[in-house]
Amino acid sequence: MAGAVLLAGCNKSGDNVVETRAPQDAPGHTRDFTSVKYFDAAPFQQQMKWRLSGADAQPLGELLVIKQAKMETFNTNGSRQAIGEAPECVYDIKNGVASSAGHLRLQSGDGKARAEGDGFLWRQDDSFFIISNHTHEVFEIGSETNIGL
Amino acid sequence: MKMLCLIALTAFATGTTARAQMGTNTAPHFLRLLDIHADIAEGILGGHTFTNRGHVHVSSPGFDMTCEQLVASSPQSGGRVNHIVAETNVVIDATDAKGQTVHATSDKAVYDYSVENGVTNEPITLTGNPQPQVIIHQVGFVSTNWADVFIWNRANNVFRSMGNERSLTGPTSAETNAPPTATNELAAPKMSLPPGADTNFPPGSLDLVRPRGGRGGPGF
Repeated sequence: MAGAVLLAGCNKSGDNVVETRAPQDAPGHTRDFTSVKYFDAAPFQQQMKWRLSGADAQPLGELLVIKQAKMETFNTNGSRQAIGEAPECVYDIKNGVASSAGHLRLQSGDGKARAEGDGFLWRQDDSFFIISNHTHEVFEIGSETNIGL
Repeated sequence: MKMLCLIALTAFATGTTARAQMGTNTAPHFLRLLDIHADIAEGILGGHTFTNRGHVHVSSPGFDMTCEQLVASSPQSGGRVNHIVAETNVVIDATDAKGQTVHATSDKAVYDYSVENGVTNEPITLTGNPQPQVIIHQVGFVSTNWADVFIWNRANNVFRSMGNERSLTGPTSAETNAPPTATNELAAPKMSLPPGADTNFPPGSLDLVRPRGGRGGPGF
């Protein structure tokens, strides 16, 4: 059951993460992959903290290779903090880390701050991210946009 | 603490006294849109600090800066970017609306944005080792200045200096019309000094231009 492989490590007891998937084309290949983490603290348990999604996902050992990946973080009021898009990334489900040697494009929820570059890592636990090459950011001083996008 | 009003670009041209107070309502804040290129960027999505490392280049209308590390922050209470720290080989080139240019080098530059009682303050503080240097080019005039600390308030284009201040001032020559080079070297560019200025002192020994009225620096 390839689906069970995809879910491994994600629906542990007490882990507020939900994986959803569309029907599979072939063993281990999932279209419209989505992984969601909800806020732990009351009263926001029904609000998404982050969402990682992709057009499709394929297992690579204990990892997932996600095509057309989209990474989103949210505020407790449901508004989107930031969105990142990458043509491809590798998702380490167990450690909650998405990374890629390819391009990443980040944008704040209101679109007033932008960042992009080649090669990135996004650690879901604390929303830490690093863009490792050729980074380019544009942001406004005086806007209400968070510097962290 | 000795604090001197060293150079005011506007006052320099008009002969009026430099304004020492921080801030004015007349000028919009100058760093409105930052365009940053660097090797590495890191931060927290939705967080309040953003760090760039390696070959950092910041550009904004009328303002260019290079350094090795830049950390931009916003307060925990809100999203407004109000604090930027640039470190290591900081080189700033700025041009105001009148075409006057400033070339500044330092080890560290700190930009702060605040609004108090409706007044915008945007000081840039230059510090570190080697000693910060500020070269100001105006039409027919160039001034090279050193001090341990410069506080540059872009809102009114006032420089304040503290500690071991030195200045060289003179008319712009063909040599000094050349674009300033991006270097932290303290060697002053060749320039014509006003009559009476002693040029026999080795660099770093004494002020080459005698202060007027105890305030120090030319133009006062």
